[in-house]
Amino acid sequence: MIVTKNWLNEWIDLTDVSTELLLKTLNSIGLEVDRHDAIHVADGVVVGFVEKCEKHPDADKLNVCQVNVGKEVRQIVCGASNVREGIHIALATVGAELPGGLKIKEAKLRGVDSHGMICSAKEIGLPSMGEGIMILDASIGELVLGQNLNQYGLFNDDVIEIELTANRGDCLSIHGVARDLRAALSRPLREKNVKDDQEGRLGIGRILQLQHTETFNAALLFGAVEVKELSVPLIISLRLAIIEEVYTTAVDAVLKYATQSTGVILRAYPFEKFGDVENKGIITLETDENGYAALYGKEKLSVIGVSQEKEAHFGANEGLAVIEASYIAPDVVSQKMGEKKVPSCPHYYRTSRGSEPSIEMGIRYAAELFEKYSSSQVYGGNIELTSSYEPRIISMVEAEFESFIGLKIDKTRITQIFKNLGLDIGKPKGSTFAISVPKFRHDIVNKQDIIEEVVRIVGIDNIPSKPLVFAEANQMSDDLAEYRKTRLYRHRAAQSGFYESVHFVFNERVQVEKFGFVCTEASKELLNPITATFDTLRPTLLMGLLNSASANVKVNQKKIALFETGMVFNTDRQESKHIGFIVSGAMESEKIANAGKPAVIDFASFTKLIADVCGSFELVSHTPTHSLAHPYVCAKVFINGAEAGELFRLHPQVEEEFDLPQTFMCELKMDTLPYALIEAQPYSKYQASYRDLSVIISKEVRYETIKAVIEKHSSAQVRRFYPVDRYVSESLGEQMSLTLRFVLQSDEKTLEEEDINAAMEWILSGLRDELGAGLR
Amino acid sequence: MQEWYDAIKSADSIDKIEEIRIAVFGKKGIMNAEFARMKDIPDAEKGTFAKELNIHKEGLNALLVDRKLFLAMEHLQATMKAEAIDVSLYSTDTERGSLHPVMETMDRIVEYFVAMNFSVQTGPMVEDDFHNFEALNLPKYHPARDMQDTFYFKDSMLLRTHTSPVQIRTMLSTQPPIRMIAPGAVFRRDYDITHTPMFHQVEGLVVEEAGKVSFANLKFILEDFLKTMFGDVEVRFRPSFFPFTEPSAEVDISCIFCAGEGCRVCSKTGWLEVLGCGIVDPNVFKAVGYENVSGYAFGLGVERFAMLIHRIGDLRSLFEGDTRLLEQFR
Repeated sequence: MIVTKNWLNEWIDLTDVSTELLLKTLNSIGLEVDRHDAIHVADGVVVGFVEKCEKHPDADKLNVCQVNVGKEVRQIVCGASNVREGIHIALATVGAELPGGLKIKEAKLRGVDSHGMICSAKEIGLPSMGEGIMILDASIGELVLGQNLNQYGLFNDDVIEIELTANRGDCLSIHGVARDLRAALSRPLREKNVKDDQEGRLGIGRILQLQHTETFNAALLFGAVEVKELSVPLIISLRLAIIEEVYTTAVDAVLKYATQSTGVILRAYPFEKFGDVENKGIITLETDENGYAALYGKEKLSVIGVSQEKEAHFGANEGLAVIEASYIAPDVVSQKMGEKKVPSCPHYYRTSRGSEPSIEMGIRYAAELFEKYSSSQVYGGNIELTSSYEPRIISMVEAEFESFIGLKIDKTRITQIFKNLGLDIGKPKGSTFAISVPKFRHDIVNKQDIIEEVVRIVGIDNIPSKPLVFAEANQMSDDLAEYRKTRLYRHRAAQSGFYESVHFVFNERVQVEKFGFVCTEASKELLNPITATFDTLRPTLLMGLLNSASANVKVNQKKIALFETGMVFNTDRQESKHIGFIVSGAMESEKIANAGKPAVIDFASFTKLIADVCGSFELVSHTPTHSLAHPYVCAKVFINGAEAGELFRLHPQVEEEFDLPQTFMCELKMDTLPYALIEAQPYSKYQASYRDLSVIISKEVRYETIKAVIEKHSSAQVRRFYPVDRYVSESLGEQMSLTLRFVLQSDEKTLEEEDINAAMEWILSGLRDELGAGLR
Repeated sequence: MQEWYDAIKSADSIDKIEEIRIAVFGKKGIMNAEFARMKDIPDAEKGTFAKELNIHKEGLNALLVDRKLFLAMEHLQATMKAEAIDVSLYSTDTERGSLHPVMETMDRIVEYFVAMNFSVQTGPMVEDDFHNFEALNLPKYHPARDMQDTFYFKDSMLLRTHTSPVQIRTMLSTQPPIRMIAPGAVFRRDYDITHTPMFHQVEGLVVEEAGKVSFANLKFILEDFLKTMFGDVEVRFRPSFFPFTEPSAEVDISCIFCAGEGCRVCSKTGWLEVLGCGIVDPNVFKAVGYENVSGYAFGLGVERFAMLIHRIGDLRSLFEGDTRLLEQFR
């Protein structure tokens, strides 16, 4: 919603209100100022009158004009096509400095002296109003030759754009904003004449008649104007340009201006659409095929508050026009629109938020404009369809104001606020107020809406800050524990060299399916994705990490380590929280310690990094279920016996597709990661012994198999064992040599040589019998 | 004897000292040889001889120990000097990773409210119309729904447009008093320089018995919170409109870039909008079946906070996993 200070001043006296105070007041009453631009035409741009206009002797497109500026007549060369004798124009005199730094000087154009410049609106810093120079008229005030333009309100103004909230349809007009300022500035509105002066006019009843059989929840008012010699006055065309409103015809301009001023929805129809003058035109109101209240003449002309048929617009510059002012309750029309959407015109924005219900004021305002700026004749009287309105009454007790606001506001102040807002409160009965809400405030329905009005006008700045006193309670929810657990793992990941990343929960369905992931069930898929690349919920964190790693490579990053914690979705859109990792390329930055050649990430280093973050885990050989993973470098991760996720090298083809160097990824379910408090176990006070065992065994045998056999054959003294060397050579052929280190210890004593040997012998016999292993 | 003093003084290695020690104090050393001569010394001179010899014994020993220590120190110094490195070669950037600025900002926000005895609550991202709109006083066809462009699914479920449905869920599953925050990702169908289809919010709700919670209480906590997050800023409340609160306000802080002078970031207004808040609308309480209660609610965008606090200019860069941004937060 765009307003200007002078335009507002036509509705409420703002002469003693500084622009700064006006902006502050608008903000403080909830009409947020989005933009403020001052309009101030430069000094030296004056009113001139073109007395003579002749062709330039040496230039086809130039005219030599004699311009009267009051005290003298100046010769001006002008190139505009619309310059002509007998018009008032804006003349930038020598010495004037125009926006953009253009300084007007004496000039000679093709040999003819020119003492100034006739200006277009744009050249003097106003919004562009089409081709050519700006022609002045008396709508801006009395035209005094030689007077600086900035002496006129229209050229010395403040343009203020207000960001209106959806509930404040009542402020979608200059009148509405002025009405809201009335309470904040404690002053009356300038009253507009809404009385219909019928004297000496043709009565509308002679030419028009309204018929309807149903009742409608809408108010309509019809007037008639014989439009004659109407051209758009400058005050209207410039103000419509300021509010960025375009118009088609002069009638359209006048009505749009009247709507912006009053907030009333106004439309014009050619009279012929209803009939002819001799036989009276007939306006019929009926429910249309979509269930909306619609207006018919010889055919359907408009839908109340929603749209107007293309042929039903008054498109001519002269002739008999039927003017309609309408009001329909916003909840009625927006609910209808929700049930059955039909095409709507720009007026719908106003009607769905609440247009001005004082339709008579709107139609009179428009009629006055027609009479003031043309020789049009307005018919006397109106034809109307009224709808009854029972004002809403809200009762409040004085103490409620204090309990909601936290500030005691005295009764007289409250009374005054409501009066200024146009809310009738009659006489308070004791400490009870009965507040009656006018029709234009459809947003006020309950006590708290009333409180809001008081808060707005009193000003939130004037409400004190008070801490709430409450009973303490244990707030350690499961969700907090979950949040803290995630935070702990995030900190560990960051400490282990990973950068935390955040991705949208959307994936590209084609891409994730191509790699073998299963997406949301088709019948539960996103209906209106924002782009094709974000058209499904992610079933995995991997795609986001992969795309980010790839983007990093493209900007020449050599060391990429990212992680993310976040929700992934199954086919039923059930969420589960995962943590995902990717490491691509170098493991550390280039430095003296690695002679500028940092090692590239490998399986062992990657698993170590993941263990640094997530704690100990077990890897089990696994054939990948998706095609992101290298088929032979892929493992299932088990944490405390539970399957937690996958860890793998990226498939070489995927590495190539995403321009990535050697890359490893891991994705784990957060709920498998430990967060319980640790219970300490008793530990032996006796010395531990270490023994190495090297066996020759088939290369085909996996360590997990060997491990299982050893576990089966381990005595209680075998506390730990782990592989430390794997050796293959040509001479070993299909065999390998595997060295395992064993830690043996007893809780009762220091182990003797024979105890150790016996334990080792049992293990060796197991490996020999079950796996055919030999001692190296 | 004097020659041994000179020999110790001029010894230039620990080995040499050891040689001298053996030559003087060894079994076959000169000291033993001198003491052996005692028996040939006339009795009258024995005392003087022994005394003199003992003086030499002590003198030589002291000198020997001193010299040895000196040479050991000299040797250590030489060894260490040989081990010298150019430490400045090893000046290095940390290889640590970092937390994402949005997540880290969310952590700080959560910590503030936890310290103020709020509980943390979460809820699903895929929501239904009731929890996301209807119960929050956003009936179907209400123009305020235009404010939130919604992602829908084919079965009429939707992605939550705010974390407020968590408040509804919490109110439905517990009883007042309630002090809660709901941090999490939310979704709106908007993607341009200043909007991303997913972003993060923290919303708060306090419910107490009727008449207990006032706008003044809301002002207190939000002023304190914003000063905790942004330091010494001015806080301004402007009346506004949200369907789920009444009265509602938007909260601004004085611009942290220009200290309220007016700059590009604050669009020359001197203020930055950071929060929305209000007294809970009675229709919201009605929707969850609460009677005789009062409460306040507030909500904020975490990305906005993170961008202001860390001076990040581009919203979209927060979702690109770009190492060049993230490494700055190590």
